[in-house]
Amino acid sequence: MAGASMKDIKLRIKSVESTMQITKAMELVASSKLRRAKERVERSRPYFNLIHQTLTEIAYSTTEFNSDFILERPVKKACYIVIAGDRGLAGGYNNNMFKAVMAHISELTGDGREVCVLPIGKKAVEFFDRRKIEILSRNYMIAEDVSIRNCFEIAGLIAEEFRSRKIDAVYLGYTNFVSMLTQEPAVVRMLPLKYNRSEAKEPTGPKALTIYEPSCEAVYDAIVPEYISGMIYGGLCESVASELGARRTAMDAASKNAGEMIEDLSLRYNRARQGAITQEITEIVAGAEA
Amino acid sequence: MTTFQLQIVTPDGLLFEGEAERLVARTIDGDVCILARHTEYVTALGMGQARVTIDGKVRKAACIGGMLSVSGGRVRIVATTFEWAEEIDLERAQRARERAEERLKQQKDTREIQLAEAKLKRALVRLNASR
Repeated sequence: MAGASMKDIKLRIKSVESTMQITKAMELVASSKLRRAKERVERSRPYFNLIHQTLTEIAYSTTEFNSDFILERPVKKACYIVIAGDRGLAGGYNNNMFKAVMAHISELTGDGREVCVLPIGKKAVEFFDRRKIEILSRNYMIAEDVSIRNCFEIAGLIAEEFRSRKIDAVYLGYTNFVSMLTQEPAVVRMLPLKYNRSEAKEPTGPKALTIYEPSCEAVYDAIVPEYISGMIYGGLCESVASELGARRTAMDAASKNAGEMIEDLSLRYNRARQGAITQEITEIVAGAEA
Repeated sequence: MTTFQLQIVTPDGLLFEGEAERLVARTIDGDVCILARHTEYVTALGMGQARVTIDGKVRKAACIGGMLSVSGGRVRIVATTFEWAEEIDLERAQRARERAEERLKQQKDTREIQLAEAKLKRALVRLNASR
């Protein structure tokens, strides 16, 4: 009896130990990947800052400036770009994202508007497939592999759809990397573009006349896709960092739990062993007395 | 020749910073040439070859998307893709071209066609620039 249970416990300890090895490895991998993801964001930042600055300057340099991209129009169909992970085992990361997006979507569909999505990440594609929501493109299954070039492709596609009035609003669902322990899902509007007046630099002193060629609007419309891709890329990097952060935390907790389980199990193992020895002695003594 | 300060920024970081004599780039409105003491100027970049003259030597590059600005005598290329001719992976571009052409033949979906066309254009620009 005691022997069999001892064997059982030993087997369980072994299996928990190997699980712990996996969770520990995943934790370490997530930490190192996180560092690289952060570096990636830093490198691309100046580029997008410059684009953003130019866009704001154009928007405020002329009083009668107008572009399809900033004009609000009644929304008949909205598009959501949703960034989620490729794998589970990241705590509530994927679920929180979908919950936030679905809340947003049901608000729109409640008013009789159409909705389509452009999912990034395997989990996102699977999720919207199950919900039978129209999917714009399935080319971006693996969130971790989506490069900046892919972001430009996505932005080009979205800008084209928006200009041809197939969609009237574009939202981006991503997860904000607040800190190692907190990640917050967010849904923000990308198109039509919105500007904060405070962000525009107030002209100080006489301003040099800038030539926009061929025209303000043409330049503006040409670089808007670049700006959008910057937003997508930013959101993507944040999301990837969040996923890794969430996974790290989840795996850290799992490793700790595994450690506790092993401790508990070894205690039980030792008790069982001791019990077995005691029983054996009792049996021998009883046998000798008889 | 008089030089001007040139800065080339891409999403991969700062690619070049220094003095240049002449810059020719393909904008959405055709080729432009920028020399020193150019007036304040902003335009969007198209897809094509860019030529930068540094110390009397011409360097070619593939330059796609983004913008070109001149402000206060400083010239900035903010491009989505900027690759010096000698750094272009010819084989990869050739493969990308074949793949895109293949896709164009098969696809019927307009969105997929758009994507394939964009890929083909980029591959062609790279191949042209490295020649």
